[in-house]
Amino acid sequence: MSLMVEVKQFTLKFESNPKGDTLSNLNFRLNHGESLLLLGPSGCGKSTLTYCLNGLYPRELDGEVHGEIVINGKTATAYRPGEISQQVGVVFQDPETQFCMLTVEDEVAFGLENIGIPHEYMEEKINHVLELVQLLAFKKSAISSLSGGQKQRLALACILALEPSLLILDEPTANLDPIATKDVIQTIQSIQEKTNCSLIIIEHQLDGWTELTNRCLLLNRNGEIFYDGDLRNAIACRLEELEEQGIWLPKVTQYFLKNRPQTERELPLTVGEINPFSLFESKSVNTASIPSEAGLPYVKASHISWKVEQQPIIHDISLTLYHGEFIAIVGANGSGKTSFSRILAGIQRPTKGSVSIKDRKIGSWKESQLREEIGYVFQNPEHQFIANTVYEEIAFSLRLKMETEATVKEKVQAVLETCGLLHLQHEHPYTLSQGQKRRLSVATMIVDDQPFLLLDEPTFGQDASSNAQLMGLLQGRYKSGATIAMVTHDMELIHDYATRVLVLHKGRLVADLAPAELWAQPIEKLHDWQLALPIQVQIQNCLKKEGDYAAQSS
Amino acid sequence: MLLNHLNPSIKALTVCILVVHLAFVFEPMTVFLFLIWTIAATFIFGKVNWKKYVLYFLPFFIFAIGMLWTTIAFADTSEHTNKVINMLGLTLPLDSFLVALALSLRILNVAALSLMFIFTTNMVDFILSLIQQLKLPPKIAYGVLAGYRFLPMMKDEIKIIHAAHQVRGVSQGKSLKDKFSKYKRFAIPLLASAIRKAERTAVAMESKGFTGDRNRTFYRQFFVTKRDLILPGILLFGFWGAWFL
Repeated sequence: MSLMVEVKQFTLKFESNPKGDTLSNLNFRLNHGESLLLLGPSGCGKSTLTYCLNGLYPRELDGEVHGEIVINGKTATAYRPGEISQQVGVVFQDPETQFCMLTVEDEVAFGLENIGIPHEYMEEKINHVLELVQLLAFKKSAISSLSGGQKQRLALACILALEPSLLILDEPTANLDPIATKDVIQTIQSIQEKTNCSLIIIEHQLDGWTELTNRCLLLNRNGEIFYDGDLRNAIACRLEELEEQGIWLPKVTQYFLKNRPQTERELPLTVGEINPFSLFESKSVNTASIPSEAGLPYVKASHISWKVEQQPIIHDISLTLYHGEFIAIVGANGSGKTSFSRILAGIQRPTKGSVSIKDRKIGSWKESQLREEIGYVFQNPEHQFIANTVYEEIAFSLRLKMETEATVKEKVQAVLETCGLLHLQHEHPYTLSQGQKRRLSVATMIVDDQPFLLLDEPTFGQDASSNAQLMGLLQGRYKSGATIAMVTHDMELIHDYATRVLVLHKGRLVADLAPAELWAQPIEKLHDWQLALPIQVQIQNCLKKEGDYAAQSS
Repeated sequence: MLLNHLNPSIKALTVCILVVHLAFVFEPMTVFLFLIWTIAATFIFGKVNWKKYVLYFLPFFIFAIGMLWTTIAFADTSEHTNKVINMLGLTLPLDSFLVALALSLRILNVAALSLMFIFTTNMVDFILSLIQQLKLPPKIAYGVLAGYRFLPMMKDEIKIIHAAHQVRGVSQGKSLKDKFSKYKRFAIPLLASAIRKAERTAVAMESKGFTGDRNRTFYRQFFVTKRDLILPGILLFGFWGAWFL
């Protein structure tokens, strides 16, 4: 096998960060047709490495590099600008910002035009790559009309059209619903089989990818490689380091570690690898059903509908939420989850119907009172930041209520303490890391002790440790009696925390049940709602099946 | 649907040339005839939604009326005071009335020509044609196209930021000063995300092999054919016809 990529003693330093190297002394090789998972905590320089591999750095870098990157036998810096795109294709995070044209075919053609493919061959190539990602039917569609998963596949198609021999995917499934995620992974798998390109995959969520490759490259916070090799082996030998760096493990592995820490056997990475005979008493899962008389009715929505330019987004939803519930709102990308949560929070007015809180219509609440009752955490934390320091950010709503400086100080300190942000109190909110920003935005919403907290995809794009901190924070709020509603794609989260699940499908409320009841639904139905079973339930089902089999045969 | 299928660059050039022509005409009748000719051509040769057309035309019309009135009201005292015209109970000197009429008709005519272009041209086609026919540098052209995609995104983002700040309990601003400081607060998150998005788009374009080089091929090719000369032909014919009449 010939070498596709060779990175030799590569070090990169940003001018803005003179203290440390962002990437330090990297050495690795990748063969043609080989795949690699690049893992590491947020901010460890994974994306920077991508920029280096596709020749953007050092050309556009404010800083310095040492060492060498060789792509296909030629130094990366020796390629002419634009030329390297035919060797290395990168699909970046957030497909939305990668497009510069308005329709699907134009977007794919853009890359072909850049590398000077003659007009007469373009049509054929465009059809071919759209076929590969199953978007041929959307060739003439406007990009804005595609769903999240489709956009991600289009971004992939645009890169595939250039026929690179190395494909780099930067968090290709972030923010996709479980079924769309599976789709994208399958698409990538089939593409690799067909084109035999090398793959570098940067991901937080490992599930599904481990079937593609076992080799992983682990980066730590200082931008050093601390492991290069088989993932299974890494989990067996370097578990502590993995956990310390906040790198996600596959969920099956997590489950096994939690339930059976002293095992001599190899840990499974996927559900398919579970050897049922090595199994153990299965712990009972979260089987709580909706407590019928749990609390008092709290939020009541009656017949709410919401339309945007005659397009129905929410369609006639009625329900009652009770005090002390932990609610998960789930559904496919674009099923109206976010809109629904905003209507519940009184941020968006429905076109029809009404929402009442404590038997009072939202419309009759004073804005300031309403905000003391409901907190809402937006998907992008930056949108909610107002002040210039972390401290002021949290103090803001207290000052609005004319509290004395002493109380403000005391409360802010307490909240910062619980959120683990105390040492950052003088920083500007924008300079925090992704996970810290998220925690800060939650902190600003809990400082007032609002009894009802709504969150829009709070765990999106975070590494394992900041995720755990965030969920700890929410759990604390929940224990102290708050009602929490959360829009999410993360089935594990629902399984671990939620007491009630609302499933939205095309703007309608199609199911309102306890998690355990949801997992008991026929699999076709879940598939239709774009949901998947959480790993823990999959394992349980797997055990049960084997158990039945054993009982029958004996 | 001839107009919608014409080469956009040629169409744009035609409009520009005719606007220059119009600048030299001070005779209301010529401008009036040509105005009718332009509007007729728009509807005969183009596929245009007339309701929308009227709606867009209305502001120009109001502007033209205003122009008519001010030009008459502030005209120099006429030398030929014996030639007058009676209108709406007012007695006006004929020549200043004619100049005013020509001016306002000219506004309407420029508007009609521009609308003809806008209503029958696809924005993306126009930019692609500018690169291919008029040699606009791709760096600028594709930058404009990418920016064009950004506008709706920014609009959505403003809405979200507005809601997000509302949730934080920021006062919605009753006085002018409050409103101003509200928009100042919007500016930072909006700019921060716009810069980040723009950077991402630029990086993505570059890694798709975009260098801004003129040496590129085109999926959607635009050519100038004989058919494209029909429109300038028709309009110029109309203009000269109106001139000699």
